[in-house]
Amino acid sequence: MKPIEFERAFDPRRCRHMLEGRVSVLHCHHYSTLYTQLADDCSLLDARGLLARVAADTFFAVLADIQRKNDLRTAAERIAAAEQYYGWAGLGRLKVIAAGPDAGEAVLERSHIDEGWVRKWGPRERPVNFITQGFLAAVFAAAFDGRPGQYAVRELESIVSGRERSRFQIARQ
Amino acid sequence: MAIDRKRIIDSLSKVTVAGDENGLIPVFGVLVNQLPADFWNGFAQRLTHLVEPDMLEAAEVLLVNAAHECGYHTGYGIITSEEWKSVVEPMIEKVPEDVLHGAVAVLAAWGWANAEIAELVPGQRMVVRAYDYYEADPAVYGRASRPQAYMLRGVCAAFMDLAYGGPYDSTGSKGLRTFTCVQTKGIECGDPYGEFVVTPA
Repeated sequence: MKPIEFERAFDPRRCRHMLEGRVSVLHCHHYSTLYTQLADDCSLLDARGLLARVAADTFFAVLADIQRKNDLRTAAERIAAAEQYYGWAGLGRLKVIAAGPDAGEAVLERSHIDEGWVRKWGPRERPVNFITQGFLAAVFAAAFDGRPGQYAVRELESIVSGRERSRFQIARQ
Repeated sequence: MAIDRKRIIDSLSKVTVAGDENGLIPVFGVLVNQLPADFWNGFAQRLTHLVEPDMLEAAEVLLVNAAHECGYHTGYGIITSEEWKSVVEPMIEKVPEDVLHGAVAVLAAWGWANAEIAELVPGQRMVVRAYDYYEADPAVYGRASRPQAYMLRGVCAAFMDLAYGGPYDSTGSKGLRTFTCVQTKGIECGDPYGEFVVTPA
């Protein structure tokens, strides 16, 4: 598949950057990992799940728009576009290695969140990439015409724990 | 003041980034991402509206803190970058006040807020007004009962840390959190602009 040219625009009156028609902002790994840490530490509610759900909802809308705009009809085209968007957004190098409407697997070869976490605080045992868990739920929902809430994502191995790659398992609930 | 805000915004808003072959954006000494504002707003909004009322302030402090650290480290990366040196540095006459005005212009160029410094008492107080900012977007109907621009609060305080909090400290243990910021007005609350008052911590 030919790489997608993602659209950019700047509205000088409002000082807003639009990427693929959506207001978008630059943030650094300090911000994204502190949001992640906030979710991880929060004892008031399941904030890890909340962060993953917000990611799933947000990226599902983005990916569905990209699919419509580029007339992507097959699961392979849709997954390739999602992987490309993930890297373009600066989240890392993500590869879906197997996918069907009911389940699949993905690996993360480079990771903004994991590598940002290690730079800031060093490695740790438990996974931290709740944002990518949500992103993958969105990828599968968009690829197979489902809803992001239908997919559960588990992170089995993590770059943040010293592994070479992070590994995710995706299943329809 | 020699800072030409419009020129800074015109020039630096054209600086675009995208993930490299690793899907990463290593710029300004940090790893950057470019995500929809809906994502950041979505988490902040749902979190602050799901926690018990007596824990709301604690949640807000954590959201502000994330931006405070981000603004401190990324802000330092920006004011020492090549882009800054070529566009903003030639306009600087008075340090650190012009640096602060330049940094707030960069805030606008990056799409965080159409903001400017309304008042600056060196080392003591800064008032920033934001006429458009993405954190006001969630209130699409009616008025929020309390201000919700946690990111701008943190970033405004961080800029004062960089200006008056002593030499930059990459560990964040010294120069960070020497200032604090209160949001006194918000577009999300029905005000014509957001207002952020920064004073020593």
